[in-house]
Amino acid sequence: MATHPSGGDGVPLERAALDDLFSAAYEELRRLASAVRRSDHGSTRSATTLVNEAWVKLASSPRFTAVSHLHFKRIAARAMRQVLIEAARRRHATKRGGGDIQFVTLDESAFGVGAGGADEILALETALAALAQVSPRQAEMVECRFFGGLDVVETAAVLDVSEATVQRDWRAAKAWLAKELRKSR
Amino acid sequence: MDATRWERLQSLFHDAVDRPPAERARFLRAACPDDPAMVDEVLAAIAEDEQGDSLLDLGIEYAAERVTGATPERLREIGPYRLLRTIGEGGMGVVFLAERTDLGTSAAVKILRDAWLSPSRRQRFAAEQRTLARLNHPGIARLFDAGTLSDGTPWIVMEFVEGVPLTAHIQSRPFPVEARLRLFLAVCEAVQYAHRHLIVHRDLKPSNVLVTTDGAVKLLDFGIAKDIGEVRPGDAGQTIARLMTPAYAAPEQARGEAAGVQSDVYSLGVMLFELLTGVLPVAPQSRTATGVADLDVLCTTAMHPDLARRYASVEALARDVSHYLASEPLEARPDSLRYRAGKFVRRNRRPLAAAAAVIVAAVSLVAFYTLRLTDARNAALAEALRTRRIQSMMLALFNGGDAAAGPSEDLRVLTLVDRGLREAQGLTGEPRVQADMFDALGGIYQKLGNLPQAEKLLTDALDARRRLAGPASDDVAASLVALARLRVAQARFADAERLVRDALAIRRGRDAGPTPALADTTTALGEVMVEKGDYPAAIAVLEDVEAARAAEGDTPEHAASLRQLVNAYFYAGRLEDAQRVGRTTLEMTRRVHGARHPFVADDLINLGAVAHERGQYAEAEARYREALALNEGWYGAEHTRTASNLTMLGRTLVRQNRFDEGVEYLQRALAVQERVYGPVHPAVASAVNDLGSVALARKRLDDAAAAFSRMADIYRAVYAGKHYLIGIALSNLGSVAMERPDYARAESLYREAIAIFSDTQSPTHLNVGIARIKLGRALLRHGRLAEAEPELLAGMDILKTQTVPSVGWVKNAREDLVALYDRMKQPEKAAALRAQP
Repeated sequence: MATHPSGGDGVPLERAALDDLFSAAYEELRRLASAVRRSDHGSTRSATTLVNEAWVKLASSPRFTAVSHLHFKRIAARAMRQVLIEAARRRHATKRGGGDIQFVTLDESAFGVGAGGADEILALETALAALAQVSPRQAEMVECRFFGGLDVVETAAVLDVSEATVQRDWRAAKAWLAKELRKSR
Repeated sequence: MDATRWERLQSLFHDAVDRPPAERARFLRAACPDDPAMVDEVLAAIAEDEQGDSLLDLGIEYAAERVTGATPERLREIGPYRLLRTIGEGGMGVVFLAERTDLGTSAAVKILRDAWLSPSRRQRFAAEQRTLARLNHPGIARLFDAGTLSDGTPWIVMEFVEGVPLTAHIQSRPFPVEARLRLFLAVCEAVQYAHRHLIVHRDLKPSNVLVTTDGAVKLLDFGIAKDIGEVRPGDAGQTIARLMTPAYAAPEQARGEAAGVQSDVYSLGVMLFELLTGVLPVAPQSRTATGVADLDVLCTTAMHPDLARRYASVEALARDVSHYLASEPLEARPDSLRYRAGKFVRRNRRPLAAAAAVIVAAVSLVAFYTLRLTDARNAALAEALRTRRIQSMMLALFNGGDAAAGPSEDLRVLTLVDRGLREAQGLTGEPRVQADMFDALGGIYQKLGNLPQAEKLLTDALDARRRLAGPASDDVAASLVALARLRVAQARFADAERLVRDALAIRRGRDAGPTPALADTTTALGEVMVEKGDYPAAIAVLEDVEAARAAEGDTPEHAASLRQLVNAYFYAGRLEDAQRVGRTTLEMTRRVHGARHPFVADDLINLGAVAHERGQYAEAEARYREALALNEGWYGAEHTRTASNLTMLGRTLVRQNRFDEGVEYLQRALAVQERVYGPVHPAVASAVNDLGSVALARKRLDDAAAAFSRMADIYRAVYAGKHYLIGIALSNLGSVAMERPDYARAESLYREAIAIFSDTQSPTHLNVGIARIKLGRALLRHGRLAEAEPELLAGMDILKTQTVPSVGWVKNAREDLVALYDRMKQPEKAAALRAQP
């Protein structure tokens, strides 16, 4: 992984805490994915998908007591993004052959989704990087809303802007990113 | 794109998006006539906004679904294993049923999914592998193989267990409560084994406990198991909290605190409840719903949220389950005195062979009756006490059970005994009863390892009895013997002998002709002589007792005096006699006490020791293991009896060059002995000796020398410089000197050892023979041929006169002599020796 999220606000996070966070993020991803496979949308489509028991427990552990609950969600969102991107990179590499590497990540046949899904996520990462160049705040907003499952109120609080601003910025950023993604297909 | 352009783009997007679709293009073209690319871009974004089906709209779960898969698709083979099908999936990995291509046997292959993700996942997987590698128990699925794929993905191969989860097994057919409990005990045993290897499972639940078709229990999934000692600061187990199955997780685990042995106890408690009731405990009140009071107590104690009130170990839980099965009082619920006393009285019809709880029961009984005495001054009851029924019953329990369950600091037991003592101290109006109580409690404190308290009580009892019953009374004789036994425990052997001889004089003065009481007191003398190391005297005394008792038949007392005779024969080197009488004793003990009594273990250990001395290590191992099963069942794993048994087993394994196995047992034993007895005690010395022997066999000479020196120091301190065991330590130090080689030092050590053996045993004792052969070799190596010859010859003569000659030593001596005669240019003598069979 290229970078690790810092605690921000001057709160450094220990390596072990990050490890826990990535592990949890990964397992959360798996949980979400399997809910989709079971077509159990109701259990996941709430605005705050990340707030399940495990996250709450992790957030209340001593390692994270120095950060506020909202701030924890912010950190978790970044961990989620990085884990997802890393998974997509691996999948993408495998699709292209990957030499003699045996892999234990992916299931080509699962749910009829090919490696295209991974490519789209990598395209999102590229577009998000471009967005961060011109509007760091909106890139963060996407991270909060999409990767972290923060709702509008929470996102506004985290970024210290009004809820109307969040709604407006999010709509524009989402539309533009979607356009970039379609271009990459 | 730059920030300005992005601002412009957004602004146009918001202005256009709420207009009617037909107007948008016109509006945009008018707004930026020179930038058709911008127009296209905004229009494309608006189209996305209207469609709302991008990845961002679908949500992260769809993104997740695209990059996480269920099973590795291309993986077909790992090493010699062909993967057949997926049999399980968890957060960590995938488990396949696999077949060994060369052998055709089944195995389970577990692969860490997405190993790249984080070091903690790899560490957890590696930890599971290490854990399994340390566990070798029929109740735990074992590790066969491990490795990594070319991309670094780790895998492990485990025993494939074909079975059903514990709960499903129970539901498959009618299961009586007893059968459920026995199955549960098997689970406890496997968990206990893991705990003994310092591993906490941390995720015990029915789906991790399979029952195979032949009814055996197998523990699976040590994926989040942990070393008991491995608690890093700040590592409060929060990751684990997330991984645990909530229903079975202990409250401290759910809070994200570090999990320990007692967390497994909790999970076992939930499982037990589920096994008994078919449902999970959901609320505190439902936890007392097994329908049986004792089982409620059991489950409640196992699942107690307060660690101080939960069973301290799986062993304690299993003991109480066993108590329940044997209709004995539970150790749990220590505050309910009347419960215990009532239970004990109800149980009284049964033979008084009880497990460790008897100590608590007996003390409670004392306290119970004492309470009633003080309260009611019931004369009839006082008289019943005077007949000493209760007291002798208590003593029988203690002598039979040696019931100091667990380490000496068993607080619950001590608390009860202390309460009994307070009650007894209040009995000033009943001085004779009080003296009896002091006598009995003194014996209990001695068993519990509180020797100063025992000494005070036994001395008080003796003084009171002298005053109340007269200096030559039976009571005084009994007190003297009790005090003598304490002196033995204090290693004050001369005092012990004097006390027993006083008691014997009283008995002889009172009883005309042989009586059981006289025989018992004489046996006590023999016992003291054995402990003191005066074996010929002990044999003479005990053979007399046996002659007087031959007609007595099977009685506990007869078996006890026979057992002492076996000890005396053994230590005197009369192995054949020891074996012969040992077998007789074993049979009698089984008839008198039943097959699972700890005395049976004692007899087995005696026979094992004889076999060991005779070089019959396989038989010795079998005897020791049989004894170990009994001792562990009776005393638990953390008891000195179990520890000395472990020492002996370890010793036999080492003699068979099974060093790693042996050292494991020996170190366990040493740890327990040091904890219970402190650093200077014969039991510690014995364990140290064996570790020294292993070090010597492995040529770790400094370790060996340190161990044997410590051993010699301990024995010198304990036995006032005069005991054959000091000689053994010196002789062993001599062997280290031979290895270095330092023949001068070896010589002086051997000479000192020979002097001690000759003095404390006899000049023709086996130990003297062996030491002289060793001395001869040291001299030979040193080139002092003329001095070596007589030592080797004398040693060989002594060994040949043994009933069972130690063939190895005779052979050694002969080889050395042949070498010696060759060097002395006496070919005819060498030839004569070579010609000998």
